[in-house]
Amino acid sequence: MAKNRLLGKVKGSYLFYSGLAVVLFFIVLAVFAPVIATYDPTAIDLNNIFAAPSAQHFFGTDELGRDVFSRIVYGSRISLFVGFVAVGISLIIGVFLGLIAGYFGGWTDILIMRIVDIMLCFPAFFLILAVIAFLNPSVFNVMAVIGLTGWMGVTRLVRAEVMSVKTRDYITAAQVQGLSGRIIMFKHILPNVMTPIFVTATLGIAGAILTESSLSFLGLGVQPPTPSWGNILTAGKDNIMFAWWLSMFPGLAIFITVLGYNLLGEGLRDIMDPKN
Amino acid sequence: MIKKFLAVLLVFAVFGCGQKKSDSGAEPEVSRKRDIPNAVYGDAVVVSMLGDATGLIYNITSDSASHDVAGKIYNGLVRYDKNMNIVGDLADSWEIVDDGKGIIFHLNQDVRWHDGKPFTADDVEFTYKFMIDDKTPTSYDADFRLVSKFEVIDKYTVKVSYNEPFAPALISWGMPVLPKHLLQGQDVKKSPLLRRPVGTGPYKFLEWKAGDSITLVANDDYFLGRPYLDRYTFRVIPDTATTFLELLNGSIDIMGLSPLQWSKQTDSNPRFTSQYNKHTYLASSYDYVGYNQKKPMFQDKRVRQALSYATPKQDIINGLQFGLGVEATGPYKPGTIWYNPNVKKYEYNIETAKKLLAQAGYKDTNGDGIVEKDGKPLKFELITNQGNSVRTSICEVLQKSWEKIGVKVDIRVLEWATFINEYINKQKFDAVVLGWNILNDPDLYDVWYSGNCGGQKLNFICYQNKDLDALLIEGRKEFDPQKRKEYYFKVQEILAEDQPYTFLMVPNALVAVSKRFNEVRPAPAGIGYNEEDWWVEKDKQKYSFQK
Repeated sequence: MAKNRLLGKVKGSYLFYSGLAVVLFFIVLAVFAPVIATYDPTAIDLNNIFAAPSAQHFFGTDELGRDVFSRIVYGSRISLFVGFVAVGISLIIGVFLGLIAGYFGGWTDILIMRIVDIMLCFPAFFLILAVIAFLNPSVFNVMAVIGLTGWMGVTRLVRAEVMSVKTRDYITAAQVQGLSGRIIMFKHILPNVMTPIFVTATLGIAGAILTESSLSFLGLGVQPPTPSWGNILTAGKDNIMFAWWLSMFPGLAIFITVLGYNLLGEGLRDIMDPKN
Repeated sequence: MIKKFLAVLLVFAVFGCGQKKSDSGAEPEVSRKRDIPNAVYGDAVVVSMLGDATGLIYNITSDSASHDVAGKIYNGLVRYDKNMNIVGDLADSWEIVDDGKGIIFHLNQDVRWHDGKPFTADDVEFTYKFMIDDKTPTSYDADFRLVSKFEVIDKYTVKVSYNEPFAPALISWGMPVLPKHLLQGQDVKKSPLLRRPVGTGPYKFLEWKAGDSITLVANDDYFLGRPYLDRYTFRVIPDTATTFLELLNGSIDIMGLSPLQWSKQTDSNPRFTSQYNKHTYLASSYDYVGYNQKKPMFQDKRVRQALSYATPKQDIINGLQFGLGVEATGPYKPGTIWYNPNVKKYEYNIETAKKLLAQAGYKDTNGDGIVEKDGKPLKFELITNQGNSVRTSICEVLQKSWEKIGVKVDIRVLEWATFINEYINKQKFDAVVLGWNILNDPDLYDVWYSGNCGGQKLNFICYQNKDLDALLIEGRKEFDPQKRKEYYFKVQEILAEDQPYTFLMVPNALVAVSKRFNEVRPAPAGIGYNEEDWWVEKDKQKYSFQK
């Protein structure tokens, strides 16, 4: 009965479906990039710079004569990769600390939550900028830094869920059976707090993709010649007066992807929210 | 954003007041005139600069904004004319004496400082002592420290002596002369002259709005004749895209355009063509790739030659510079007397490049597409500074092109201060894409002499060649241009053979100047050398000022 109700909600959720479609579309694009791209994304053709969109170059060419369509297709790999890995990192840290804080309470809880408060005091983007300025700009550093500065929300969320779940009778039963804290946390509590984590993660991916694009736009993210939507936009900024395609297509790609993940996240939330 | 918009509006408002020139305004009283037929006084020139000036005493600042402004306020003893010959400025004439070891300057006897005090030999002596004073925070003391004796012969004659002949000596006295009566005994770092300079030049200081603009006003008493334009305004606009929009709005009069703006955004834009003329000429600078000689892989000249052969210079010029530039073959500007056209050239040729690498022992033994020697792949990092999109693009073109001969390159684009302080000054780089200005004196001692290898010095790639050193030393001692030329022709042959740099290109200067100015005549010295002669017909004048 419950299962059918959930399925019924999934069927009725346009948010969920449209989001899923967009996300799947970009995942296919990233996975099959070598097949879909019409050119080598780093192939330079100095005799054909700033060509407008045409049958040869669907999205035109950039300041080095590289095919913008192929660069955007390959750029989707960077965006997805950064999104998933960065969110993965923040989930691992966030869930772990949230579980501990929520389950043990007391001083452990106070300590962890104060660390969270301190971390939240930093304006996240400027913290990332500062850290990247010390490290070398690269995809890996960008992922790590976005992940390491984005776990606080997850911790708060998980802690709150854990605190409500741990008062349930089945947890008391497990404790009475003499199961260790570790087993109770990971085997009995964690599966019951997964739902909101999924929603946060989906929304988090959208945020991470935006942050990566912003960093690359500023020249602190993915380094040339690797294409990323952010660094294609940088070239667009200088030439926006006459080469609109350099700004518009990567901009659209970022917009649609972020929208897709947000829709998917909202859709998931609606479906899993018992009040609906 | 709103602030910016307001600032723009304010500028319009300020200048807007004076847009209608009343004919009743008589010609200003000018004690010394220039002799351009039909020229009339009035109007102003407004130019932009990317950053604010740091101070207006030329000799102790080194940023280009400060120098651009201060250059209008001061004079040196000598200067370059439009054809890059050295001519007198504050000095009427000079004699080279003591077999080239001394110069006697005869000063102009009719020069007054902007505050009315007369200019004399004492000011020159003061400036010399100021330059060699350890307390003076200047980067331009080296040439003055070579002076062995400075004598004031009379009120308008000075003699400088050197221990041995020093060819760049004469032009080193192009350094602005400072007013003794205002600076003697003062701590120059706290001098009010930093904010309100007093010079001898064509323009007098009027007003400085920090971070916004600096305005100068014509010096009626200028010893070479009052400039025709009443005012010279420098506006701080920190971004080239905004500067270009301001240009289209007509709110600035001169701008150095990017190749892209020049080729794609001007001719088709009536707002541009109705207001501006474009001028282009070969700039006095070149771009290059420098190879750090401390890295073992770059010590074999065949590797450097191979990289040069694999560099598509012409494609770079055509594609990135829109054809606005010429290939560089050495450190001098084509067309000048120092330029040697018959040096070894490196026409783009992948096969020759591969052969040279093979001769140097580099082969791809493991089939990964990268050549190795003794198991070490030929792989390095190419760095350049942020903020110059052409240089970043050059890096990407080179990376792709060198990949074809099995060389793997990683690119790193660095913020300017980090780039200079952490990488260049500490010699912590493999290869670098950068540019040098080409000075008018051919002396290359600072950049190429072996002894100038090291952190903070200009030979930061540490190229060391005994033959070259000898030529550089001799070249500094020779005054006769024809003999001097021979030394520097040989210098260029050595550099072309050895390729410590891959010389990339000499770009064109691309300048837009408002159509209303007369007498704008680009010459080897550029475009601004005769700005004092620029004038505007009465009915075309845009700004007018109350006396």
